[in-house]
Amino acid sequence: MKFRAPLSVAIAIGVGIIVLLGYFFGANSAGQPTILGILRDYFLQGAVVVAGMALLVGVFNLTSAHAKKIRQGGGALYSLVTVLALAITLVIGTFDLVMTYLSGEPGLTWTRWIFENIQLPIETSLMAVLVVSLTYAATRLLSRRLNFMSAVFAGFVFILLVTSIPALAAQLGPIADIRSWIMSVPAVGGARGLLLGVALGTIATGIRILVGVDRPYGG
Amino acid sequence: MTLTGLLGFVFILIFFGLMMLFVVSGRSRPGVNLRQIPAFTKLRRAIGLAVEAGSRLHVSIGRGGVIGTQSASAFVGLSMLERLAGSASTGDKPPIATSGDGVLGVLAQDTLQGTYRRIGLGEQFDPTSSQVVGLTPFSFAAGTIPLVSDKKTGANILAGSFGSEVALITDAGERSGNLTLAGTDNLPAQSIIYATADEPLIGEELYAGGAYLNVGPLHEASLQAQDVLRWSLVAVILLGTIAKLFGLDVILAQLFEGLL
Repeated sequence: MKFRAPLSVAIAIGVGIIVLLGYFFGANSAGQPTILGILRDYFLQGAVVVAGMALLVGVFNLTSAHAKKIRQGGGALYSLVTVLALAITLVIGTFDLVMTYLSGEPGLTWTRWIFENIQLPIETSLMAVLVVSLTYAATRLLSRRLNFMSAVFAGFVFILLVTSIPALAAQLGPIADIRSWIMSVPAVGGARGLLLGVALGTIATGIRILVGVDRPYGG
Repeated sequence: MTLTGLLGFVFILIFFGLMMLFVVSGRSRPGVNLRQIPAFTKLRRAIGLAVEAGSRLHVSIGRGGVIGTQSASAFVGLSMLERLAGSASTGDKPPIATSGDGVLGVLAQDTLQGTYRRIGLGEQFDPTSSQVVGLTPFSFAAGTIPLVSDKKTGANILAGSFGSEVALITDAGERSGNLTLAGTDNLPAQSIIYATADEPLIGEELYAGGAYLNVGPLHEASLQAQDVLRWSLVAVILLGTIAKLFGLDVILAQLFEGLL
């Protein structure tokens, strides 16, 4: 069913306002949920169900995008591996679920095997690649963007990395104290400042959606 | 009703009031009072170059869901996607959107379809121009990298919720020589982006995307409202620090305890 724009906007704004009010006035002074709190929970539970269904749409989208690549030929091998892996995992997962249901005991043996022996090693390897990428990026930072803030950033990273080595930290004495000062004063202060900006930006985005100016839901 | 809830609601009302005030007073004329953010200057240039060179813009809106605080950054990404799709749709290669969440994938598809339809190019919409590339952090990165590295991609705009895996994506962007503009709501990822992206968007800069891309007057008004409230919060923090320094915090705590 496709809603016309004014109706979808009205529904989105109405539900949004109820959820917002439910967040602030969802409970009375005795801690009991108010009608707004009950409605908020109801809508949020509905959103969780819709998000679950959208996951299936996402998987279908992923499959169709890779199927198109296979048809066109560009990067077809990787796409073929992705689609095959998806199909095999889906079949094994379904088989595992049925077997678990029939045996009545917690199982999912094959699914767990896939996770532990394929997904986990691959993601761990990517984590290792991430470390190399970050080290490379840190060394290139000053050549790419040479300014005061980049120098401060690189300097702090260097101090924190050096003082993180336990054997060195014990011998460095006062420099190790610098690490704890950096972590508890400028790092926390900077993080709070950034969070303040992010929080204000989040509220502004929420208000724009509530008044129907931003419409990520179409319409 | 609790005092905290009431204060929060009043804060939202003040924010909304300020936004409306700036819209009505006309102080949010396009481009007025906006400081230069190099990332957006380069992005505007990249859009023009992409259209001229026949390359494509890649917009990634991250893998944050729509339920929770991460959704705001994703919605900013969607606003930017809408604007960029409108600007670059006349090129040979229409923009492509990637995400790591099913709902965001659907919303990105809807945004692209709506934009194409609005500018009269509805028949050019390709459903696979919005792709859910992976649902876990590293599968998302692995699925995004081929698009970032693609020779047909002219610029990468990463606007949404990303974690540490963003380093792999920005690294791929750097190796391919494409402009990579990135912003996220995640603090550790912001530090990674600062070190790895060509044009990082730090803190609230990501949320200013709509204003800098001229999405609408309310986007600029919200920036002005944010400025007013930011300085107000700075003043409150400073007053709190002074109160603590002179031991007034105990009296204030007792006062608020009484109010509660």
